[in-house]
Amino acid sequence: MSKDNEPLLALEKITKRYRNIVAVNRINLEVFPGEKLVIIGPSGSGKSTLLRSINLLEEIDEGVIRFEGREVGYTTKNGRRHHDTPSAICALRAEIGMVFQHFHLFPHMTALGNVMEGPLTVQRKPSEEARRIAAGMLEKVGLSDKMDVFPATLSGGQKQRVAIARALAMHPRIMLFDEPTSALDPELVGEVFETIHKLADEGMTMVIVTHHMGFARELADRVIFMESGSFLAEGTPVELFGANQTNERIRSFLNRLI
Amino acid sequence: MKYLTGRAATALLFLCLAVSPLFAGNSYDRTFREASDLMAQGELDQALSVLQNIPPPSGDEEGTAFISARMQSARIHASRNDNGKALEACREVLNLYPDNSEALNFEAALERKEIPRWRSFLADCVKFLPVLGKGAMMTLLLVLCTMLISPFGGLLIALGRISTIPPLSGLCWFIIWFFRGTPLLLQLFFIYYGLPSAGITLSPMLSAVIGLGLNYSAYLGEIIRGAIQSIDHGQMEAAKAIGMNYRQAMFRIIIPQTYKRLMPPIGNEFIALIKDTALVSTIAMVELMRSADQMFNTYFNITALVLAAIIYLAMTTLFTFVFEKIEYRAGIYEQR
Ligand SMILES: Nc1ncnc2c1ncn2[C@@H]1O[C@H](COP(=O)(O)OP(=O)(O)OP(=O)(O)O)[C@@H](O)[C@H]1O
Ligand SMILES: [Mg+2]
Repeated sequence: MSKDNEPLLALEKITKRYRNIVAVNRINLEVFPGEKLVIIGPSGSGKSTLLRSINLLEEIDEGVIRFEGREVGYTTKNGRRHHDTPSAICALRAEIGMVFQHFHLFPHMTALGNVMEGPLTVQRKPSEEARRIAAGMLEKVGLSDKMDVFPATLSGGQKQRVAIARALAMHPRIMLFDEPTSALDPELVGEVFETIHKLADEGMTMVIVTHHMGFARELADRVIFMESGSFLAEGTPVELFGANQTNERIRSFLNRLI
Repeated sequence: MKYLTGRAATALLFLCLAVSPLFAGNSYDRTFREASDLMAQGELDQALSVLQNIPPPSGDEEGTAFISARMQSARIHASRNDNGKALEACREVLNLYPDNSEALNFEAALERKEIPRWRSFLADCVKFLPVLGKGAMMTLLLVLCTMLISPFGGLLIALGRISTIPPLSGLCWFIIWFFRGTPLLLQLFFIYYGLPSAGITLSPMLSAVIGLGLNYSAYLGEIIRGAIQSIDHGQMEAAKAIGMNYRQAMFRIIIPQTYKRLMPPIGNEFIALIKDTALVSTIAMVELMRSADQMFNTYFNITALVLAAIIYLAMTTLFTFVFEKIEYRAGIYEQR
């Protein structure tokens, strides 16, 4: 285990451009073990791009990503950046769990099959063991009774909980949530938040992008407000959401949400 | 001068002798032309009496004109449903030439007319089915071989096409471009008749399987590529996010989801394939079409072709049914 004063994840001046727009602009970020970080900000501010850059789903143009102290994704030699090997990239992704807004469950596999897939195919565990791990994870998200059904028959909340179990089955060191409740009917949001809360209580390190301020306030150790690819403000929930928030931009954004 | 006239006269005489048989032949030609003119005018009785003027050959004389005349009469009688008179004409020929195949076949056909249609049809079936069955087996073998090869060939071509390695995707683009852009018949000719000049001689069966296999791989390649690219991009992302590499994501996550949407177009292609196998009859493969053609040419009997059509229909129907079942099975996870 890394020491508390050593970040699990560190981003140094990372930049991501799409043709003429800079989606992520020279961002520095450190996430410490056990920390719950919430990122908020208006649509198009680069939150998803930032999360996707962390597990290398997006190729960054500049900057350095460190995971547990070592540089990942790229190695810089003589001022030139080189891609890591595909297997190194896969190994990194296996240690980072990701949950998407639209679940992206594998529709041709049962709930159990979805959760088993990582341990079975990526970690090459025997199918009995993979099944045991998957069943455990589904129980943790409260879906033991849905093990053998296909995603098409699940509700949105149930789908997202299966997706969380699928990420957890890889025993990741950190979980990234990209608007995990934005595609859900309001009455289904609670069950997903409950699951994430439970995970937080177990000490999981996580970075969450969300538009639910109440949830952010409850859960976050630290909140970051992002706009136009940069961090505009950063602080505890009280500091950011409190009455003494002076930044006009953030106030109007929060007011619009509430 | 006198000398010259003498030579010219001799030459003229020889010329007349040389063309005289032509004139003799011409007399029958004229009779036939007269008869066919009369037939064209619908004067069948007169045509018959003109034809009757051609006598049986005497001595060493050739019998061709006689045979043609009597067979023509027989056909006229038969067209008027006067089978008795038609048979009479046939037998006139057979009395002199018992081995004449035209007269024999026509007599057989006339005799068949006497028995009920359904019995003659059954008799034809019994006669043709063993040969057609053998041909159908060949067709089926060819279809099954191509069905086995082309999905794998198609998958390879599709994966090559969407790969980011330029030479590979270029090669696969070329294969699709070439095999979809030229007639299958031409490809078959090229493989069977063309390759031997490059020192590669293949049996008809092997040539047919290679030709059909490549052609259908190219077609299925495009279909499979379309299906792969139609799968939600999020699926690839989710697979990568749990640490899968490209190959694992493709074969475990993406490709299995294409099965259901692949079945209708692939089924369609395979139905076309069953009929396309008829083309290999041109490269000395004796399959269903060739067998039917041979039967038809030997017996002048349309039943052979009808039976072939029925067998093709049976095959396409069977495969349509099988593909529908597979499509249903492949998409079972989508049901609520
Ligand atoms: N694949 C892409 N190609 C081009 N531009 C893109 C692409 N993905 C994102 N962008 C642009 O990058 C910027 C940041 O997008 P991003 O999806 O990260 O925003 P976001 O903060 O997640 O927004 P939202 O709250 O709507 O999810 C936007 O201007 C977007 O249009
Ligand atoms: Mg987003």
